[in-house]
Amino acid sequence: MRRITSLSLLLLLQVSVCLGQTSESPLRIFGYFQNSFNHQTGTAEDPEQNSFNLQQLNLFFQKDLAKNWRAFVNFEFLNNFSSIRQWGAGNLEEAWVRYRSNPRFSVKLGLMIPAFNNLNEIKNRTPILPYVVRPLVYETSFSEFIAVEEFTPARAFVQAYGFLPADEAKIDYAIYIGNSPNISTIADQAQSGIDTTDTFLVGARLGLRAADLKIGISATRDNANFFRGAEQILPREVPASKFIEVPRTRLGADFSFNSNRWIFEAELISVLYDDDTPEISIDKLFYYATFGFDLTDQLFAYASYWLTRQDFTAFREDAPNAPALVVAEVDVRVPTLGVSYRLNDRITFKGQFARVLIEEEVKRLQIRENNNLNFYSVAASIFF
Amino acid sequence: MKRVVLTFAFLLTTAAFAPAQVAVIANKSVPVDTVRKSKLLDFYTGDIRLWGNDEAVVVVDLKPRSDIKKRFYRYLGKRSSRMKSIWLKKMLSGEGDPPEALKTEEDVLHKVGNTQGAIGFLSASKVDSQQVKVLLIIPASAAQ
Repeated sequence: MRRITSLSLLLLLQVSVCLGQTSESPLRIFGYFQNSFNHQTGTAEDPEQNSFNLQQLNLFFQKDLAKNWRAFVNFEFLNNFSSIRQWGAGNLEEAWVRYRSNPRFSVKLGLMIPAFNNLNEIKNRTPILPYVVRPLVYETSFSEFIAVEEFTPARAFVQAYGFLPADEAKIDYAIYIGNSPNISTIADQAQSGIDTTDTFLVGARLGLRAADLKIGISATRDNANFFRGAEQILPREVPASKFIEVPRTRLGADFSFNSNRWIFEAELISVLYDDDTPEISIDKLFYYATFGFDLTDQLFAYASYWLTRQDFTAFREDAPNAPALVVAEVDVRVPTLGVSYRLNDRITFKGQFARVLIEEEVKRLQIRENNNLNFYSVAASIFF
Repeated sequence: MKRVVLTFAFLLTTAAFAPAQVAVIANKSVPVDTVRKSKLLDFYTGDIRLWGNDEAVVVVDLKPRSDIKKRFYRYLGKRSSRMKSIWLKKMLSGEGDPPEALKTEEDVLHKVGNTQGAIGFLSASKVDSQQVKVLLIIPASAAQ
Protein backbone atom coordinates (compact mmCIF):
# COMPACT_ATOMS: atom_id res chain seq x y z
CA MET A 1 0.00 0.00 0.00
CA ARG A 2 2.81 2.30 0.97
CA ARG A 3 4.58 1.50 -2.31
CA ILE A 4 1.43 2.36 -4.27
CA THR A 5 1.04 5.64 -2.41
CA SER A 6 4.68 6.54 -3.08
CA LEU A 7 4.25 5.66 -6.76
CA SER A 8 1.10 7.79 -6.98
CA LEU A 9 2.86 10.71 -5.35
CA LEU A 10 5.76 10.32 -7.75
CA LEU A 11 3.42 10.27 -10.75
CA LEU A 12 1.57 13.31 -9.42
CA LEU A 13 4.87 15.11 -9.00
CA GLN A 14 5.90 14.21 -12.57
CA VAL A 15 2.62 15.53 -13.97
CA SER A 16 2.97 18.74 -11.94
CA VAL A 17 6.50 19.25 -13.23
CA CYS A 18 5.35 18.65 -16.82
CA LEU A 19 2.48 21.10 -16.46
CA GLY A 20 4.85 23.60 -14.91
CA GLN A 21 7.08 23.34 -17.95
CA THR A 22 4.28 23.96 -20.44
CA SER A 23 4.11 27.74 -19.73
CA GLU A 24 0.45 27.59 -20.74
CA SER A 25 -1.15 31.01 -20.53
CA PRO A 26 -4.80 32.03 -20.28
CA LEU A 27 -6.67 32.65 -23.52
CA ARG A 28 -6.40 36.32 -24.52
CA ILE A 29 -9.15 37.89 -26.56
CA PHE A 30 -8.60 41.28 -28.13
CA GLY A 31 -9.30 43.12 -31.35
CA TYR A 32 -10.12 46.39 -33.02
CA PHE A 33 -12.58 48.02 -35.35
CA GLN A 34 -12.62 51.03 -37.62
CA ASN A 35 -15.77 53.02 -38.22
CA SER A 36 -15.78 55.66 -40.93
CA PHE A 37 -17.88 58.27 -42.66
CA ASN A 38 -17.13 58.83 -46.33
CA HIS A 39 -18.20 61.42 -48.84
CA GLN A 40 -17.51 60.61 -52.47
CA THR A 41 -18.19 63.08 -55.25
CA GLY A 42 -20.20 61.83 -58.21
CA THR A 43 -18.85 60.82 -61.60
CA ALA A 44 -20.44 60.31 -65.00
CA GLU A 45 -21.18 56.72 -64.01
CA ASP A 46 -21.71 56.85 -60.26
CA PRO A 47 -23.80 59.19 -58.11
CA GLU A 48 -22.49 61.12 -55.15
CA GLN A 49 -22.22 59.01 -52.00
CA ASN A 50 -22.39 59.80 -48.30
CA SER A 51 -22.11 56.80 -46.11
CA PHE A 52 -21.25 55.53 -42.67
CA ASN A 53 -19.38 52.27 -42.70
CA LEU A 54 -18.05 49.83 -40.16
CA GLN A 55 -15.10 49.19 -42.44
CA GLN A 56 -13.59 46.41 -40.46
CA LEU A 57 -13.71 44.51 -37.21
CA ASN A 58 -11.05 42.01 -36.25
CA LEU A 59 -11.26 39.66 -33.33
CA PHE A 60 -8.16 37.85 -32.10
CA PHE A 61 -7.78 34.81 -29.87
CA GLN A 62 -4.27 34.12 -28.62
CA LYS A 63 -2.91 31.48 -26.31
CA ASP A 64 0.56 30.31 -25.39
CA LEU A 65 0.17 26.55 -25.47
CA ALA A 66 3.57 25.66 -24.08
CA LYS A 67 7.04 27.09 -23.91
CA ASN A 68 7.85 28.28 -27.49
CA TRP A 69 4.37 27.46 -28.86
CA ARG A 70 1.66 30.02 -29.51
CA ALA A 71 -1.76 29.68 -31.18
CA PHE A 72 -3.38 32.68 -32.86
CA VAL A 73 -6.79 33.05 -34.53
CA ASN A 74 -8.01 36.14 -36.40
CA PHE A 75 -11.63 36.62 -37.50
CA GLU A 76 -12.33 39.56 -39.78
CA PHE A 77 -15.65 41.20 -40.64
CA LEU A 78 -15.84 43.80 -43.40
CA ASN A 79 -18.24 46.51 -44.57
CA ASN A 80 -21.10 46.44 -42.02
CA PHE A 81 -21.08 42.67 -42.10
CA SER A 82 -24.56 41.21 -41.76
CA SER A 83 -25.35 37.76 -43.04
CA ILE A 84 -29.12 38.35 -42.88
CA ARG A 85 -28.81 41.42 -45.12
CA GLN A 86 -26.10 39.82 -47.24
CA TRP A 87 -23.78 42.75 -46.62
CA GLY A 88 -20.03 42.71 -46.30
CA ALA A 89 -17.91 39.67 -45.63
CA GLY A 90 -16.85 37.55 -42.69
CA ASN A 91 -13.53 35.72 -42.99
CA LEU A 92 -11.33 33.45 -41.00
CA GLU A 93 -8.15 35.35 -41.84
CA GLU A 94 -5.63 33.52 -39.72
CA ALA A 95 -5.46 30.40 -37.57
CA TRP A 96 -1.92 29.28 -36.91
CA VAL A 97 0.36 27.77 -34.36
CA ARG A 98 3.89 29.11 -34.10
CA TYR A 99 7.01 27.47 -32.81
CA ARG A 100 9.71 29.95 -31.76
CA SER A 101 12.83 29.05 -29.89
CA ASN A 102 14.04 32.64 -30.36
CA PRO A 103 13.12 35.51 -32.72
CA ARG A 104 15.87 34.49 -35.13
CA PHE A 105 13.90 31.44 -36.25
CA SER A 106 10.17 30.78 -36.08
CA VAL A 107 7.86 28.44 -37.94
CA LYS A 108 4.14 29.03 -38.41
CA LEU A 109 1.77 26.26 -39.40
CA GLY A 110 -1.84 26.89 -40.40
CA LEU A 111 -3.69 29.63 -42.22
CA MET A 112 -1.70 32.87 -42.21
CA ILE A 113 -1.02 36.11 -44.07
CA PRO A 114 2.47 35.65 -45.51
CA ALA A 115 5.37 38.11 -45.50
CA PHE A 116 5.40 40.21 -48.65
CA ASN A 117 6.83 43.71 -48.79
CA ASN A 118 6.25 45.95 -45.80
CA LEU A 119 2.50 46.19 -45.47
CA ASN A 120 1.04 42.82 -46.43
CA GLU A 121 1.12 41.22 -42.99
CA ILE A 122 -0.18 44.35 -41.25
CA LYS A 123 -2.46 45.70 -43.99
CA ASN A 124 -5.55 45.04 -41.90
CA ARG A 125 -4.19 46.30 -38.58
CA THR A 126 -6.04 49.61 -38.71
CA PRO A 127 -4.89 50.90 -35.28
CA ILE A 128 -1.26 51.03 -36.42
CA LEU A 129 -1.90 52.54 -39.85
CA PRO A 130 -2.67 56.26 -40.23
CA TYR A 131 -4.91 55.74 -43.26
CA VAL A 132 -8.71 55.58 -43.42
CA VAL A 133 -8.39 54.13 -46.92
CA ARG A 134 -5.15 52.19 -47.23
CA PRO A 135 -2.93 52.12 -50.33
CA LEU A 136 -5.35 50.51 -52.74
CA VAL A 137 -4.08 46.95 -53.06
CA TYR A 138 -4.05 46.69 -49.27
CA GLU A 139 -7.58 48.01 -48.83
CA THR A 140 -9.38 44.76 -48.13
CA SER A 141 -12.76 46.47 -47.90
CA PHE A 142 -12.36 47.40 -51.61
CA SER A 143 -11.88 43.80 -52.69
CA GLU A 144 -15.24 43.83 -54.47
CA PHE A 145 -13.88 46.15 -57.15
CA ILE A 146 -10.09 45.85 -56.93
CA ALA A 147 -8.48 42.45 -57.34
CA VAL A 148 -6.44 42.89 -54.16
CA GLU A 149 -5.57 39.21 -53.92
CA GLU A 150 -3.97 39.30 -57.35
CA PHE A 151 -1.50 41.96 -56.23
CA THR A 152 -0.47 40.42 -52.93
CA PRO A 153 -0.51 36.88 -51.51
CA ALA A 154 -3.45 36.71 -49.12
CA ARG A 155 -2.77 33.38 -47.47
CA ALA A 156 -0.15 30.72 -46.95
CA PHE A 157 -0.03 27.60 -44.81
CA VAL A 158 3.58 27.09 -43.73
CA GLN A 159 6.09 29.87 -43.12
CA ALA A 160 9.62 29.87 -41.71
CA TYR A 161 10.93 33.31 -40.81
CA GLY A 162 13.21 35.28 -38.55
CA PHE A 163 16.36 37.33 -38.79
CA LEU A 164 20.11 36.91 -38.85
CA PRO A 165 22.22 39.50 -37.03
CA ALA A 166 24.97 41.14 -39.08
CA ASP A 167 26.89 43.57 -36.87
CA GLU A 168 24.43 46.34 -36.04
CA ALA A 169 22.10 45.32 -38.86
CA LYS A 170 19.62 42.47 -39.20
CA ILE A 171 18.82 40.38 -42.23
CA ASP A 172 15.14 39.44 -42.22
CA TYR A 173 14.02 36.36 -44.05
CA ALA A 174 10.74 34.56 -44.66
CA ILE A 175 9.88 31.66 -46.90
CA TYR A 176 6.42 30.18 -47.28
CA ILE A 177 4.18 27.83 -49.19
CA GLY A 178 0.42 27.75 -49.81
CA ASN A 179 -2.23 27.04 -52.39
CA SER A 180 -2.52 28.53 -55.86
CA PRO A 181 -5.67 30.67 -56.24
CA ASN A 182 -7.60 28.21 -58.40
CA ILE A 183 -7.51 25.42 -55.92
CA SER A 184 -10.52 23.47 -57.15
CA THR A 185 -10.65 22.52 -60.82
CA ILE A 186 -13.88 20.56 -60.54
CA ALA A 187 -16.24 23.01 -62.20
CA ASP A 188 -19.55 21.56 -60.97
CA GLN A 189 -18.52 21.65 -57.32
CA ALA A 190 -18.52 24.72 -55.20
CA GLN A 191 -15.12 25.86 -53.94
CA SER A 192 -14.41 23.73 -50.93
CA GLY A 193 -10.98 25.00 -50.06
CA ILE A 194 -9.47 21.71 -51.16
CA ASP A 195 -6.69 21.92 -53.68
CA THR A 196 -7.34 19.65 -56.64
CA THR A 197 -4.37 20.95 -58.61
CA ASP A 198 -0.75 20.00 -58.33
CA THR A 199 0.35 23.64 -58.14
CA PHE A 200 1.42 25.60 -55.08
CA LEU A 201 2.16 29.13 -54.05
CA VAL A 202 5.77 29.55 -53.00
CA GLY A 203 7.11 32.88 -51.82
CA ALA A 204 9.85 34.63 -49.93
CA ARG A 205 10.97 37.95 -48.56
CA LEU A 206 14.54 38.99 -47.88
CA GLY A 207 15.13 42.24 -46.05
CA LEU A 208 17.67 44.34 -44.25
CA ARG A 209 17.14 46.45 -41.12
CA ALA A 210 19.85 48.85 -40.05
CA ALA A 211 19.19 51.68 -37.60
CA ASP A 212 16.21 53.58 -39.06
CA LEU A 213 16.34 51.98 -42.49
CA LYS A 214 14.37 48.96 -43.61
CA ILE A 215 14.46 47.56 -47.14
CA GLY A 216 13.37 44.31 -48.69
CA ILE A 217 12.57 42.36 -51.80
CA SER A 218 9.76 39.83 -52.13
CA ALA A 219 8.63 37.32 -54.70
CA THR A 220 5.92 34.70 -55.11
CA ARG A 221 5.27 32.12 -57.78
CA ASP A 222 1.96 30.32 -58.29
CA ASN A 223 -0.42 29.34 -61.09
CA ALA A 224 -3.73 30.87 -62.14
CA ASN A 225 -6.59 29.80 -64.36
CA PHE A 226 -7.82 33.28 -65.24
CA PHE A 227 -7.03 32.71 -68.95
CA ARG A 228 -9.02 29.49 -69.26
CA GLY A 229 -10.92 29.49 -72.58
CA ALA A 230 -8.87 32.34 -74.09
CA GLU A 231 -7.99 30.16 -77.08
CA GLN A 232 -11.60 30.56 -78.32
CA ILE A 233 -11.25 34.30 -78.87
CA LEU A 234 -7.72 34.41 -80.20
CA PRO A 235 -7.45 35.10 -83.95
CA ARG A 236 -4.90 32.31 -84.31
CA GLU A 237 -4.71 28.68 -83.26
CA VAL A 238 -3.39 28.15 -79.79
CA PRO A 239 -3.88 24.93 -77.83
CA ALA A 240 -6.31 25.22 -74.91
CA SER A 241 -3.74 23.62 -72.59
CA LYS A 242 -1.61 26.74 -72.92
CA PHE A 243 -4.14 28.70 -70.87
CA ILE A 244 -4.51 26.29 -67.99
CA GLU A 245 -2.61 26.99 -64.80
CA VAL A 246 -0.62 29.86 -66.25
CA PRO A 247 2.43 30.65 -64.11
CA ARG A 248 2.14 33.94 -62.23
CA THR A 249 5.00 35.84 -60.62
CA ARG A 250 4.69 38.65 -58.12
CA LEU A 251 7.74 40.78 -57.54
CA GLY A 252 7.90 43.31 -54.74
CA ALA A 253 10.30 45.82 -53.24
CA ASP A 254 9.86 47.87 -50.10
CA PHE A 255 11.74 50.71 -48.50
CA SER A 256 11.11 52.58 -45.30
CA PHE A 257 13.09 55.08 -43.32
CA ASN A 258 12.14 56.87 -40.16
CA SER A 259 14.02 59.56 -38.35
CA ASN A 260 13.06 60.95 -34.99
CA ARG A 261 9.99 62.79 -36.32
CA TRP A 262 9.40 61.81 -39.90
CA ILE A 263 8.96 58.67 -41.95
CA PHE A 264 9.20 57.80 -45.59
CA GLU A 265 7.99 54.49 -46.94
CA ALA A 266 7.45 53.14 -50.41
CA GLU A 267 6.59 49.87 -52.12
CA LEU A 268 6.52 48.46 -55.62
CA ILE A 269 4.61 45.39 -56.79
CA SER A 270 4.61 43.90 -60.27
CA VAL A 271 2.35 40.97 -61.20
CA LEU A 272 3.30 39.12 -64.36
CA TYR A 273 1.43 36.28 -66.06
CA ASP A 274 3.69 34.07 -68.09
CA ASP A 275 1.08 33.36 -70.80
CA ASP A 276 3.38 34.03 -73.76
CA THR A 277 0.47 35.53 -75.74
CA PRO A 278 0.97 39.17 -76.78
CA GLU A 279 -2.70 39.61 -77.73
CA ILE A 280 -3.90 39.24 -74.16
CA SER A 281 -2.66 40.61 -70.87
CA ILE A 282 -3.86 40.99 -67.32
CA ASP A 283 -0.50 42.05 -65.87
CA LYS A 284 -0.55 44.49 -62.98
CA LEU A 285 1.60 47.14 -61.39
CA PHE A 286 1.31 49.01 -58.12
CA TYR A 287 3.41 51.44 -56.18
CA TYR A 288 2.94 53.86 -53.35
CA ALA A 289 5.07 56.32 -51.45
CA THR A 290 4.16 58.01 -48.17
CA PHE A 291 5.89 60.86 -46.42
CA GLY A 292 4.73 61.42 -42.85
CA PHE A 293 5.60 63.70 -39.98
CA ASP A 294 4.95 63.50 -36.22
CA LEU A 295 3.61 66.97 -35.48
CA THR A 296 3.35 65.97 -31.81
CA ASP A 297 3.50 62.65 -29.94
CA GLN A 298 -0.18 62.18 -30.80
CA LEU A 299 -0.69 63.95 -34.10
CA PHE A 300 0.70 62.52 -37.33
CA ALA A 301 0.27 64.04 -40.79
CA TYR A 302 1.12 62.46 -44.12
CA ALA A 303 1.04 62.86 -47.87
CA SER A 304 0.91 59.78 -50.06
CA TYR A 305 0.73 58.85 -53.72
CA TRP A 306 -0.58 55.54 -55.04
CA LEU A 307 -0.78 54.07 -58.51
CA THR A 308 -2.40 50.86 -59.68
CA ARG A 309 -2.07 49.89 -63.33
CA GLN A 310 -4.14 46.94 -64.47
CA ASP A 311 -4.24 45.42 -67.93
CA PHE A 312 -7.58 44.12 -69.16
CA THR A 313 -8.19 42.18 -72.33
CA ALA A 314 -11.41 43.09 -74.13
CA PHE A 315 -13.15 41.83 -77.24
CA ARG A 316 -13.99 44.96 -79.29
CA GLU A 317 -16.45 44.61 -82.13
CA ASP A 318 -16.11 48.32 -82.97
CA ALA A 319 -12.43 47.90 -83.72
CA PRO A 320 -11.32 49.05 -87.18
CA ASN A 321 -11.43 46.40 -89.93
CA ALA A 322 -12.57 43.47 -87.84
CA PRO A 323 -13.47 42.32 -84.35
CA ALA A 324 -10.28 42.29 -82.38
CA LEU A 325 -8.88 41.65 -79.01
CA VAL A 326 -7.56 44.74 -77.35
CA VAL A 327 -5.59 45.30 -74.22
CA ALA A 328 -6.88 48.18 -72.13
CA GLU A 329 -4.70 49.74 -69.48
CA VAL A 330 -6.54 51.17 -66.52
CA ASP A 331 -4.58 53.47 -64.23
CA VAL A 332 -5.89 54.58 -60.88
CA ARG A 333 -3.75 57.36 -59.43
CA VAL A 334 -4.46 58.62 -55.95
CA PRO A 335 -2.71 61.60 -54.41
CA THR A 336 -3.88 61.73 -50.82
CA LEU A 337 -3.39 63.73 -47.61
CA GLY A 338 -4.33 62.74 -44.11
CA VAL A 339 -3.89 63.08 -40.38
CA SER A 340 -4.24 60.69 -37.49
CA TYR A 341 -4.65 61.70 -33.87
CA ARG A 342 -3.93 59.17 -31.16
CA LEU A 343 -6.19 60.19 -28.30
CA ASN A 344 -4.76 57.44 -26.11
CA ASP A 345 -3.41 53.92 -26.50
CA ARG A 346 -6.86 52.65 -27.50
CA ILE A 347 -8.50 55.32 -29.63
CA THR A 348 -7.20 56.92 -32.83
CA PHE A 349 -9.08 59.44 -34.96
CA LYS A 350 -8.26 59.77 -38.63
CA GLY A 351 -9.08 62.10 -41.49
CA GLN A 352 -8.17 61.71 -45.14
CA PHE A 353 -8.69 63.41 -48.46
CA ALA A 354 -8.01 61.53 -51.68
CA ARG A 355 -8.24 62.69 -55.27
CA VAL A 356 -8.95 59.59 -57.37
CA LEU A 357 -7.88 59.85 -61.02
CA ILE A 358 -9.06 56.96 -63.18
CA GLU A 359 -7.73 56.74 -66.71
CA GLU A 360 -8.56 54.02 -69.20
CA GLU A 361 -6.52 53.77 -72.34
CA VAL A 362 -6.68 51.39 -75.28
CA LYS A 363 -3.44 52.22 -77.03
CA ARG A 364 -4.19 50.20 -80.14
CA LEU A 365 -7.41 52.13 -80.77
CA GLN A 366 -6.17 55.45 -79.41
CA ILE A 367 -9.06 55.59 -76.97
CA ARG A 368 -8.65 57.38 -73.67
CA GLU A 369 -11.30 57.96 -70.99
CA ASN A 370 -10.93 59.83 -67.74
CA ASN A 371 -13.05 59.64 -64.65
CA ASN A 372 -12.12 61.58 -61.54
CA LEU A 373 -13.61 61.88 -58.10
CA ASN A 374 -12.82 63.20 -54.65
CA PHE A 375 -13.01 61.08 -51.55
CA TYR A 376 -13.28 62.60 -48.08
CA SER A 377 -13.31 60.39 -45.02
CA VAL A 378 -13.08 60.50 -41.26
CA ALA A 379 -12.74 57.47 -39.03
CA ALA A 380 -12.23 56.23 -35.53
CA SER A 381 -10.05 53.19 -34.95
CA ILE A 382 -10.65 51.48 -31.65
CA PHE A 383 -8.40 48.85 -30.11
CA PHE A 384 -9.95 46.77 -27.34
CA MET B 1 31.63 87.66 -0.98
CA LYS B 2 28.61 88.73 -2.98
CA ARG B 3 30.16 87.20 -6.10
CA VAL B 4 30.72 83.87 -4.30
CA VAL B 5 27.13 83.77 -3.11
CA LEU B 6 25.86 84.57 -6.59
CA THR B 7 28.06 81.90 -8.17
CA PHE B 8 26.88 79.39 -5.60
CA ALA B 9 23.26 80.33 -6.21
CA PHE B 10 23.77 80.02 -9.99
CA LEU B 11 25.33 76.58 -9.66
CA LEU B 12 22.54 75.48 -7.37
CA THR B 13 19.90 76.70 -9.82
CA THR B 14 21.65 75.05 -12.75
CA ALA B 15 21.88 71.77 -10.89
CA ALA B 16 18.23 71.96 -9.94
CA PHE B 17 17.16 72.47 -13.56
CA ALA B 18 19.77 70.18 -15.15
CA PRO B 19 18.16 67.12 -16.74
CA ALA B 20 18.60 64.01 -14.63
CA GLN B 21 20.71 61.13 -15.86
CA VAL B 22 18.84 57.99 -16.86
CA ALA B 23 19.95 54.69 -15.39
CA VAL B 24 19.29 51.38 -17.11
CA ILE B 25 18.84 48.80 -14.38
CA ALA B 26 18.44 45.05 -14.34
CA ASN B 27 17.65 42.29 -11.92
CA LYS B 28 20.74 40.92 -10.23
CA SER B 29 20.13 37.56 -11.94
CA VAL B 30 21.01 38.80 -15.42
CA PRO B 31 24.34 37.52 -16.69
CA VAL B 32 25.72 40.89 -17.90
CA ASP B 33 27.05 44.00 -16.18
CA THR B 34 26.79 46.46 -19.06
CA VAL B 35 24.58 46.88 -22.09
CA ARG B 36 25.19 48.51 -25.48
CA LYS B 37 22.69 50.89 -27.04
CA SER B 38 21.92 48.57 -29.97
CA LYS B 39 21.28 45.63 -27.64
CA LEU B 40 19.09 47.79 -25.42
CA LEU B 41 17.02 48.71 -28.45
CA ASP B 42 16.74 45.02 -29.33
CA PHE B 43 15.39 44.30 -25.84
CA TYR B 44 12.86 47.10 -26.07
CA THR B 45 11.70 46.16 -29.59
CA GLY B 46 11.44 42.47 -28.72
CA ASP B 47 14.17 41.35 -31.13
CA ILE B 48 16.04 39.78 -28.22
CA ARG B 49 13.95 37.87 -25.70
CA LEU B 50 16.53 35.80 -23.86
CA TRP B 51 19.61 36.62 -21.84
CA GLY B 52 22.79 34.66 -22.49
CA ASN B 53 21.80 32.17 -19.77
CA ASP B 54 18.46 31.44 -21.54
CA GLU B 55 16.52 33.40 -18.94
CA ALA B 56 13.61 35.36 -20.42
CA VAL B 57 14.10 39.11 -20.77
CA VAL B 58 11.32 40.92 -18.90
CA VAL B 59 11.12 44.47 -20.22
CA VAL B 60 9.66 47.12 -17.92
CA ASP B 61 8.44 50.50 -19.12
CA LEU B 62 7.22 53.69 -17.46
CA LYS B 63 3.61 54.64 -18.04
CA PRO B 64 3.44 58.44 -17.65
CA ARG B 65 4.86 60.75 -20.29
CA SER B 66 7.77 61.76 -18.09
CA ASP B 67 10.98 63.52 -18.97
CA ILE B 68 12.94 60.39 -18.03
CA LYS B 69 10.91 58.26 -20.42
CA LYS B 70 11.25 60.77 -23.23
CA ARG B 71 15.02 60.94 -22.80
CA PHE B 72 15.42 57.17 -22.55
CA TYR B 73 13.68 56.62 -25.86
CA ARG B 74 15.43 59.59 -27.44
CA TYR B 75 18.72 57.90 -26.49
CA LEU B 76 17.50 54.79 -28.30
CA GLY B 77 16.70 56.96 -31.33
CA LYS B 78 12.94 56.42 -31.12
CA ARG B 79 10.09 58.57 -29.93
CA SER B 80 7.96 56.84 -27.33
CA SER B 81 4.99 57.10 -29.75
CA ARG B 82 7.04 55.22 -32.37
CA MET B 83 7.89 52.55 -29.80
CA LYS B 84 4.21 52.19 -29.00
CA SER B 85 3.53 51.58 -32.69
CA ILE B 86 6.23 48.91 -32.81
CA TRP B 87 4.74 47.09 -29.81
CA LEU B 88 1.20 47.42 -31.09
CA LYS B 89 2.28 46.02 -34.44
CA LYS B 90 3.89 43.03 -32.76
CA MET B 91 0.89 42.49 -30.54
CA LEU B 92 -1.67 42.65 -33.34
CA SER B 93 0.43 40.27 -35.42
CA GLY B 94 0.64 37.73 -32.61
CA GLU B 95 4.42 38.23 -32.57
CA GLY B 96 4.90 39.65 -29.11
CA ASP B 97 3.43 41.44 -26.15
CA PRO B 98 4.18 45.01 -25.10
CA PRO B 99 6.23 45.51 -21.94
CA GLU B 100 4.49 46.10 -18.66
CA ALA B 101 4.25 49.86 -18.09
CA LEU B 102 4.38 50.96 -14.45
CA LYS B 103 3.13 54.18 -12.92
CA THR B 104 6.18 55.36 -10.97
CA GLU B 105 9.94 54.99 -10.99
CA GLU B 106 9.69 53.42 -7.53
CA ASP B 107 7.43 50.74 -9.05
CA VAL B 108 10.04 50.13 -11.77
CA LEU B 109 12.79 49.76 -9.17
CA HIS B 110 10.67 47.32 -7.15
CA LYS B 111 9.56 45.31 -10.18
CA VAL B 112 13.06 45.00 -11.68
CA GLY B 113 14.55 44.14 -8.31
CA ASN B 114 12.03 41.37 -7.72
CA THR B 115 11.67 39.85 -11.19
CA GLN B 116 14.21 37.42 -12.63
CA GLY B 117 15.56 38.66 -15.98
CA ALA B 118 13.93 42.08 -15.69
CA ILE B 119 15.34 45.26 -17.21
CA GLY B 120 14.05 48.82 -16.86
CA PHE B 121 15.02 52.46 -16.59
CA LEU B 122 14.63 55.31 -14.12
CA SER B 123 16.36 58.45 -12.86
CA ALA B 124 19.92 57.68 -11.80
CA SER B 125 19.27 59.39 -8.47
CA LYS B 126 16.56 56.84 -7.62
CA VAL B 127 18.68 53.74 -8.10
CA ASP B 128 19.14 51.49 -5.10
CA SER B 129 22.14 49.33 -5.92
CA GLN B 130 21.19 46.93 -3.12
CA GLN B 131 18.11 45.92 -5.12
CA VAL B 132 19.28 46.05 -8.74
CA LYS B 133 22.39 46.27 -10.87
CA VAL B 134 23.06 49.30 -13.08
CA LEU B 135 23.91 48.33 -16.66
CA LEU B 136 24.23 51.80 -18.12
CA ILE B 137 24.09 55.45 -17.13
CA ILE B 138 22.82 57.56 -19.99
CA PRO B 139 24.45 60.98 -19.66
CA ALA B 140 22.03 63.89 -19.86
CA SER B 141 23.87 65.17 -22.94
CA ALA B 142 23.38 61.86 -24.81
CA ALA B 143 19.61 61.98 -24.50
CA GLN B 144 19.00 65.58 -25.56
